Amino acid sequence: MRAALPALAPSVVLAALLLGIGVFEPSFLSAYSLRVLMGESSPILLLAVAQTTVIMLGGIDLSVAAVTSLASVLLALILPGFGVWGLALVLLLTTAIGALQGYIHVIAQLPSFVVTLAGMGLWAGIALSIAQTTIPVTRGYSVVGWMQGSLLGIPTSFVFAAGVALLIWLALRQSALGRYVQAIGLGETAALFSGVRVDRVKIATFALSGLLAGATGAALVARTYSGNPSAANSLLLPSIAAVVVGGTAITGGFGGIGRTIIGVLIISVLRVGIAIVGIDPGYEPLAYGLVVICAVALTMDRTRIAVVK
Amino acid sequence: MSDVAISVAGLSKRYPGIQALDDVSLDVRPYEVVGLIGENGSGKSTLLKIMAGLVKPDDGKILVRDKPVMPGDFLAAARAGVGMVFQEQSLLLNITVAENILLGCEGDAVRFGLYDWKKLNSLARRQLDKLGCDIPSDANTGSLSFAQRQMVELAKVLAIEDRIEGAPIILLDEPTSVLDAEEIDTVLTQVERLRQRASIVFVSHRLDEVLRVSDRIYVMTNGRCVAERDAKHANVAELQRLMLGQQLTDEYRREGESHVRVGQVRLSLRNLSSPSRYEGISFDVRAGEIVGLAGVEGSGREAVCRAVFGADGPGSGEILIDGREIRVSGPAEAVDLGVGYVPSERRVEGLVTSMSVRENMTLAHIDVVGRGPLLDFGRERSMVTKWIDRLRVRTPSVDTLAGQLSGGNQQKVVLAKWLIAERPRLLILDHPLRGLDVGAKAEIFARVRELARDGIGILLIADTLEELIALSDTILVMRDGAITARFDAGAPPPTSLEILEHMI
Repeated sequence: MRAALPALAPSVVLAALLLGIGVFEPSFLSAYSLRVLMGESSPILLLAVAQTTVIMLGGIDLSVAAVTSLASVLLALILPGFGVWGLALVLLLTTAIGALQGYIHVIAQLPSFVVTLAGMGLWAGIALSIAQTTIPVTRGYSVVGWMQGSLLGIPTSFVFAAGVALLIWLALRQSALGRYVQAIGLGETAALFSGVRVDRVKIATFALSGLLAGATGAALVARTYSGNPSAANSLLLPSIAAVVVGGTAITGGFGGIGRTIIGVLIISVLRVGIAIVGIDPGYEPLAYGLVVICAVALTMDRTRIAVVK
Repeated sequence: MSDVAISVAGLSKRYPGIQALDDVSLDVRPYEVVGLIGENGSGKSTLLKIMAGLVKPDDGKILVRDKPVMPGDFLAAARAGVGMVFQEQSLLLNITVAENILLGCEGDAVRFGLYDWKKLNSLARRQLDKLGCDIPSDANTGSLSFAQRQMVELAKVLAIEDRIEGAPIILLDEPTSVLDAEEIDTVLTQVERLRQRASIVFVSHRLDEVLRVSDRIYVMTNGRCVAERDAKHANVAELQRLMLGQQLTDEYRREGESHVRVGQVRLSLRNLSSPSRYEGISFDVRAGEIVGLAGVEGSGREAVCRAVFGADGPGSGEILIDGREIRVSGPAEAVDLGVGYVPSERRVEGLVTSMSVRENMTLAHIDVVGRGPLLDFGRERSMVTKWIDRLRVRTPSVDTLAGQLSGGNQQKVVLAKWLIAERPRLLILDHPLRGLDVGAKAEIFARVRELARDGIGILLIADTLEELIALSDTILVMRDGAITARFDAGAPPPTSLEILEHMI
């Protein structure tokens, strides 16, 4: 039982939060409210999935939010003229951005923290220089608009995000690439000496992160009917928090998408729930911080991590 | 004045799946050296760690000079005067030697929170001089070789002498396993000298060393203390039998083995050079041949092996595998060409210790368990199980974390990693028997022989000349980056002396 605690804890925390808030405000648990919750979670889920893969590799991607914002701005400009091809182009671009960051990380041997921090500034800056303010999207909206629909009562954006999460989960668990990611996160030298092409795996993982950031940009455009250079600013820390709260080790190697999904739900429930319960939004960061610390304290699997930094 | 320096009673410790210690009791008298011998996995390391306060036993008591010491409390043990030299080194590589030696107990070498470097260096110098060691105390620890760092470890533990009243208790966990003959002699002489001022527990695989310095010997098997003997009257064969619980056959003597059928050239090095490491290295390794490289630290033999595997690129020259020239920019290419590498730093380079045995074994050639884009877990399990049986790896299950296995079994997993696909063309073994006990060594020896018989070419660096001579078909001696001699290990095999002459 003791051993299972870290694995179960995130789910327990989630259930506790849902019940707690539900007791306070029963309408929170209504179908409508839950649907809104899921729709809110989709962008964070996509980014958290991206972040999970990078964190499992032993790195971190601080640029995901900036790339998302950039993608939203580019989409707003391109969709009216190029439709689906515009979407494809933007996704290709964000993937390339991710790959570039991975490449620099590998070739120049710079920590991913540093490379993606620089990226964060760079891509946000480019987005701002292209568009100083919100760009509404009318023509071409339908290319991304389908995400605002719903499938069997569940918001399509959530289905999409969950589908992507599932795919990545499968890849991490049961593909060679997933095995390599884990091995690099847990023992990069041994992985290298076993013939793993560490450089390529790293670049591929960062490229994936870029791709998912682009997809998140599309999701944001769908939701807000516009592109905005600061669209995703508030999403970076929640994406990392979701991964950590879910129980994936920030040091790499342990954890996974399943845990991240629960983490995302916890973070979303917190964001929405705090407002519903009537707590002054000013206290939101406080409540937020408390829950994150409690959740991590409960979920961190100390049996596997020898030294806590 | 008590009759006993340190005594432990009824110590037990259980790890998942393994009873590491089972009701162990022993004592060490003042100013005596107690030798502790046993196979890998017999519990020696665990016992020492418990005595040093690093591991908390499930049961049992520790008494130092008749005063109970809280088990699992490292500081309490240190205050009582117990110090330990670790098998897998405990030095910090980013600070100087002096800082390491006096870490945590700088005394008056620290004033107002700042180091008094002169004082610190001279205090450290005093400890190093006890060992007759000429390593400068302001050297950066990371720049020293493994063997040099071992000396610093020893100096660090000797520093306890100056800090406590009464005799310290020094625990030495395999202090000599990676040293060469001259250094081993220095260490053993030190241990004999230290007897006058300390009580010592000495763990080593090498029976001759233990017999040389110990007054009494305890034998451990499977977590239990099975015998105690007086060193002067001990019988080597009896001790070996007690360790293994069976009659030891000298499996790893060559016994004038019939001519190995040697085939095509697997590896060919032509004029391989890397500035300031080695120069003009040329030799061949044929299928079925075991080529051993002899040489001291700095002779370049490790660097050559790593160059072949792509871990350290050579400056110039050619490497040919099966006749095809290769440009290895990294281990990945070498692996694709059928080269395998069993590294000396097992826990860092050989295995991902936090991954399971199963995951480690399939890491190098994961395509053999693939089915389409996904991995076939069923196939993975059965292949891994097959190799666990074949190499007799002792592990509770395929999902046990590799870091929990004993050294010998870890080494078998590393070996299996290269064998699991198809036969590799070339295997490079870098100190493959390091840290293994007699039984495990014999097994690995036998496996390596088998592999050669199957037609794999093997490049070998061994810990001792005896091992090298026993295992190799051809011996190349390197000194200062060049090959100085070549011996055919047929009958009669070259003597250690002959080889040594060309090594130094």
